[in-house]
Amino acid sequence: MRKLSGLLGAFAVAGTAAVAADDPVATRIALMDANGAATALAGGMLKQQVPYSPAAGKASIAAWEAVAVAVGSFFPEGSEGTGHSKASPKIWQDRAGFEADLAKFREAAAAAMKGVGKEGPPDLAAFQKLAQPVMGTCKTCHETYRLED
Amino acid sequence: MLLLRLLGWLALLALVAGTAFWWLTMSRTLPAETLAAMPAGDAERGAALFWVGGCASCHAAPGAKADERLKLGGGRVLKTAFGDFAPPNISPDRAHGIGAWSAADFANAMLMGVGPGGEHLYPAFPYASYARMKLADVADLWAYLQTLPPIAETRAARTALRFPFSVRRGVGLWKRVFLSDAPAVELAGATPEALRGQYLSEGPGHCGECHTPRNRAGAMDTAHWLAGAPNPEGKGRVPNITPGGKLGDWTREDVVYFFQSGFDPDYDAVGGSMVDVQENLAMLPDDDLHAIAAYLAAVPPRAGAPQP
Repeated sequence: MRKLSGLLGAFAVAGTAAVAADDPVATRIALMDANGAATALAGGMLKQQVPYSPAAGKASIAAWEAVAVAVGSFFPEGSEGTGHSKASPKIWQDRAGFEADLAKFREAAAAAMKGVGKEGPPDLAAFQKLAQPVMGTCKTCHETYRLED
Repeated sequence: MLLLRLLGWLALLALVAGTAFWWLTMSRTLPAETLAAMPAGDAERGAALFWVGGCASCHAAPGAKADERLKLGGGRVLKTAFGDFAPPNISPDRAHGIGAWSAADFANAMLMGVGPGGEHLYPAFPYASYARMKLADVADLWAYLQTLPPIAETRAARTALRFPFSVRRGVGLWKRVFLSDAPAVELAGATPEALRGQYLSEGPGHCGECHTPRNRAGAMDTAHWLAGAPNPEGKGRVPNITPGGKLGDWTREDVVYFFQSGFDPDYDAVGGSMVDVQENLAMLPDDDLHAIAAYLAAVPPRAGAPQP
């Protein structure tokens, strides 16, 4: 039984990798959707519309970090203007600038991840201190590299 | 003989046409008695107008953040179908900026689109919206601009337009047809809060300049007010912000939170040139942001403007 689930797990991962390689647009959109959902959870807690819990705080920060390290790989040459991608052509015109903005997100997320601890940030104030620098980097990149509407 | 007579008629025709063009395109300034009644401005009140007006977005250096946004030495060139517009230095420097202007010069620029030498200004400077501003607010903004650092440099970029737009005098004709201080939309039974929001949005805030589609002459099409438009600078679209667009599902609190934080209700972060606008709006008092939200809830809902 354990063997079977391990096999299924390997299949699942292989399946994901296949999507990622074949369809970078779908992959980066899925990653950014997850990023948005993580931010919605964080924002809901910061606005005190969702009760704070350390595990939820940690989940937001961990999701940001995962997206931050991964998403840059899914903007290959030739993937511009396909699907309902809102990626701006400037990503391919100014790759270095795009990478620099992404690095800001990655650094902020990594710094937050360092501070979360095993159980997650203990209270809302601690979470806010870690989360806000990460949330501040979204529009830095969107300003130049994401199309409007 | 016949030829001479024909030439004579042609010359007369040219003279009449030239005179008509000259007369139709003359620049009009504010009446002397209006300017005489212009109050002394209050710089503190002017600061709020500076942020709602977004002066820094075009007149400060591209990408400027924090205090750098107060250095109005000229900004990023706006590349449009008409040609390139280079926003000038509007810092209080006497040689390179507008330090040698009078308050009346400033009022004529803001409300009538006329420069201090009587020349027409191009409506890339959004006076088609600013024309709706109260003179007292223009005075406050002028007072505030005096408190900013003079920048003693002129940027190399120059406004370079395609013919016939390069004929500055022609702007006079455009203004005769399109320049008005009337509200862009009628809001029947609007609350005082929504009316305040209308003033901020249609006047100093000039939201319509990007969010409303333009007609062939480059004037805002009020029949599709705020219904979204092509991005004037390239790919993508500026969104429909009437209740007929996605804002129809937003609460007013959502709109205010977006202005303050840059996050929409789905926590998608603001992008494109709206980032700068949002950061300007975040400087406004809460009351003003609520007023703008009330206005956006009250404007006529429109389906998205026809795609080109």
